[in-house]
This record gives sequence, C-alpha cells and structure tokens, in this order.
Amino acid sequence: MLYRVIDAHELPALVQAFMCDYEVIAPVRSGKSFAFEAIDSFDDIVLDYPTTLTSLKKYYLPPRETLFEYDMVDGVTDYRMEVRPRVLFGAHACDINAINALNLVFEDPRYPDPYYEAHKKATMIVGISCMPGDSCFCHLLDAGEVRSGYDLFLADIGGRYLVSIGSVEGADILEAACDPREATDEDRRAFRDYTRRRQRAFNEDIPSVQEIPMLMDAFHSDDFWEELGSRCLNCTACSSVCPTCYCFDIRDVLDPSGKTGRRERVWDACTSPQFALVTGGHNFRPGPRERVRHRMYHKLNGFNAKHGRYLCVGCGRCVKACKADISPIEVLRFFEQKGIEDGERDAD
Amino acid sequence: MSTMSEEKSIPRVVLVGLASCFGCQINITNVEAHLMEVLGQIDMRYWQLTSSDPMPEAFDVAVVEGAVTTDEAVRTLQRIREQARAVITIGACAATAGIPGMAAAGYEPRANEVYGQAVPAIIDDIACRPRAVADVIEVDYEVPCCPIDPYDFVRVLQKALYGANPYERTSTLCGECKRNERGCFYGRGIMCLGLVTRQGCGARCPDLGRPCNGCAGVSPDANVKGARRVAQHSGIAPARFDKALEMFNQVTQGVQP
Repeated sequence: MLYRVIDAHELPALVQAFMCDYEVIAPVRSGKSFAFEAIDSFDDIVLDYPTTLTSLKKYYLPPRETLFEYDMVDGVTDYRMEVRPRVLFGAHACDINAINALNLVFEDPRYPDPYYEAHKKATMIVGISCMPGDSCFCHLLDAGEVRSGYDLFLADIGGRYLVSIGSVEGADILEAACDPREATDEDRRAFRDYTRRRQRAFNEDIPSVQEIPMLMDAFHSDDFWEELGSRCLNCTACSSVCPTCYCFDIRDVLDPSGKTGRRERVWDACTSPQFALVTGGHNFRPGPRERVRHRMYHKLNGFNAKHGRYLCVGCGRCVKACKADISPIEVLRFFEQKGIEDGERDAD
Repeated sequence: MSTMSEEKSIPRVVLVGLASCFGCQINITNVEAHLMEVLGQIDMRYWQLTSSDPMPEAFDVAVVEGAVTTDEAVRTLQRIREQARAVITIGACAATAGIPGMAAAGYEPRANEVYGQAVPAIIDDIACRPRAVADVIEVDYEVPCCPIDPYDFVRVLQKALYGANPYERTSTLCGECKRNERGCFYGRGIMCLGLVTRQGCGARCPDLGRPCNGCAGVSPDANVKGARRVAQHSGIAPARFDKALEMFNQVTQGVQP
C-alpha cells in the first residue's frame, strides 16, 4: 500500500479539486444527527462526525429507481439512467466495508446488475478515520479496518493526514490538489498511536464472541428468538438504515393517464411482514420471530457461508434506529450469556 | 359498432360519501393536471359531491368515503356490495371509522345523556354505533390517510380498473421515516404514532417536523404492546399513547389496552 502525508490545511484544496468534476457527498449536520448529503462548500463537512442516520448504500442502490419505462403505443424503452460522477467524501471504514459487501452481491458475474454497476463506475470513495461511538462494534466483525474499495483513505494523525492511496485516479487528484510528502517514521509512530487510541475507545460492554456463525446454528431453536421477535415493531427501520441490507422489490407504476408507466425497483426488507409471502397466500416467515431471526442469520451466518465475510459491519445504526432494542449486539450478548451458562453447567 | 362496445366496456364508477367531512372527495380534484386523464378512463356515473341526482342502479366500481353511522348507510353499503365488482374505500373515516369513530366509546347511553328520557324516536331509528366500512361489507381496496393523497387514489383506482394484485405492505411507519433521514421524535421525548401506524404515506408528517397522528390506521401487524413499552421508556405514559390512538383507531380491533 502506498502512503503519503498531507497537512490538515490542505484538505479544503483536495475537496475543491473534487468539486470541479464531481458531485461531492459528505457528512453534514442534520438536526441532532448527521447525514451524507451533496455539499457546496468544504465548511459544511463535519470531519469528526460519529455516524450518520442512514448509510451510503443509497448512492449505489437508490431507495427507488426506474429500471425501464413503458408506453401503450411504443412498448418498452430502456431507461437511460442519468448517473452523476460522485465522490463519497468522509466514509468510515465500516461503511467502505459495507460497500465492498454489496459489490460481492451486485457484481456477481452470474447475475450482473447494470444499474448498480453504472452507479459504482461513476463513484469515487475518500475514506476518513474515526473514533468509535457507544454503538460501534465494527472491530468485532472484521470491519474495523478497510484494505480496499477506496480511492483515498485519510487517517487523522494530528494536524496532518496519513493518506492511503487506493487508485490511480485518487493519486492524480491528490498530487494535483495538495503537496503530498513521503511519510516519516514520526508520522508512522503517530499513526500507531492513533490506532491504539481508537482500539481502546471501543465500548467494552459489547462482548467479543468467537465462532459466531457456528453459534447461530447451535442456538437456532432457542427461545431467545421468540423473545427478540416479540419486541419487534415490524417497522423495517433496521434495514432502512443498514448499509448492507440490499433486498429489493420490483413494481410496475402506472402514470395517472393509464397509458404510460415505469418499472421500479424499491427497497424491501426481510423484516417486512409480506417479504416471504408467496402466490397462493403462504408466508414462509409469518411472524416476527422468524423474520428477526432470518435477518440476523443472513448477517451473521448465511452471507459468511457464501462470501466468507459477515454481512454486518458493526456500524451501530440499527442499534439506534430500533426502538425495541433489537440489534446484532443483543445476539452477541445472548451468545456470551449462553457461554457463561454452559461453562457453569460443565463445572457442576 | 366498435365504438358502442368500447363505450360499454368503460368501467362505470360511483363515489359515495358517508359520515365524513367530504375532504377526501375534494382532494381527488387535487390531481388537477391529470383529472381529465383519470376521468377519461372511467364512466363517472355518480359523484355525491358534484350532483344531487340519485345513485344509479348499475355500476362496476364503487368508491366509498366516510364511516358508517346510520342504518341507511348500512343499507347503502349492502346495495353497493351486491352491485359492484370492486369496492374501494377512501380516507381514514371509511378505513377505521376515523373521526366519527371517536363517538363509539360510551355510545349507547349517550342519547340519554343528551336528551334525558325524551330521546326522539328518530335517533334510535337512524343512528348506529360508528363502524368502519369493512366492518359492514367486504372491501377490495383501501386508500388510507386523512385526507387521502390524490395520486394514491388514482394508483388504487387503476388497480381496481385493470385488475392488479391488491397486496399492500403492512409494516409500520418508522422504516419509511428513516428513509427520509429524520431523527426519531422519541429521542426528544415526543410521542409519535408511527410506531404502530401502517406505512405507505412516505412518513410525510414526520418529514415536515410533525409526529405521526396515526391517520393511516394501526397496521394489522402492529405490536401495540411493544410500542407502549417504547413510549414508556421515553417517558410517555401508556395511557397517553392509548388516548392519542383513539383519534383514528377508536374501533380498531386489538388496539384497546
């Protein structure tokens, strides 16, 4: 990996350089929280934002997207998508890992997704280092560091940034806008100090559990899922804010004229009561117990089996969004408790 | 000859208003630019808001606004159900008994409270405990909310006209609200009925800074017990939550504590 160092006062010039050719998306203040939005000025960016209400997936998989249009006279016309060249500036490691997980799904060569691909091709990513908040547990799910999937990654090492260069395009813009220099041993030690400080800042009340996928299988029928499901409000807020929930529904939307319309892809959620409803009226996951359990399984077990990594990146958004306190953290706590109980049983 | 048969195949629609403010009927006209296009797809035989002519005998699709509060309304609905191949309700009053439904609690002794022992005979003859349309006849399609979104009405009308699948999601509102990237009212100790209210409106009130008042109706998949716990956790007494639900869900099954 190629590293360079830039001074903090060079950052506005970097953002300015991106703004010439790209729409720049960055974390900004939104009410009491933060959101990724298109910015007009470097001053709008909150570089040390804790997290955002929703994730960056909206730029790859919009909540509502037209797939094609149809007309009673002309038939079906391919939809010409207007894709804007974009830079996602200030993405945290967890969120870049989330996009890497989405890539595994939508870039599967057997089922290529031209819509996703068009967004991805037009999007650059500039990551930024972070300090974990109370709900962050990325480090427990191998998503605390990111090694690929970005053009530049900025690590704040005090008054300057250690910039990890991930692409030629990223390097070119960095070279043109800033005066990057070679990292010194002092810079490297400062980076080490930052990573140690960050490691120590994670919430220790969130238990570290080994062999999560296997435990998901071992406790598949436990009463825990009934209890967790009984709390679920069936609102799907979890998947709305989740950076890796990628399920969608496809619907035909007729215009008021009744003569023209669009086929649209809209976000769906496995926690929605109708998600597993099929023709004939059978619902394969009729209750919240089955739905909540399924969601956790896909995050912590099923996706691993197929892609060798968790589909949860520990960003903690669902921890805050779920008013019923249902989140992967609750699952980790359950496994920890089971481990203690089983240990006590063996000791008897 | 072909003109004749085409005309014959245009679905005949009637629009009936029961106990309501007629606001949903008015709101249909707010599709403005598309109104003629929409009317061009149907043979509008009767629209209570626009004409005093009596409802015709024959029609294909019936649109019903308002709650059932009289025996006459019950008879009208029965007649509609016998005739129409599709019945669409519009608005909260029709879907949940809505505002007229607020009279349901303590309905029976109320006439005596007002008139004493001298209750006019006509009261008992015509009035009945408020009900939703679906509590009286089978309903095929529903356009929720107070008032309805006129574009939502057109979408549902087209489903009835062209025979689309009537399935609608029953998840509650918070998922849509999060897509608007809004923080939660409960984080600020403000009560919002989105926890139990059916999605579909796009969470537009919370998006405008107002908590949900539940006008889309409590979802059949709502976890009312769980929502009371959430409210209580944010310092809102369950009794206050239940009281707020009464505005649009007084007669909804499973909502009462």
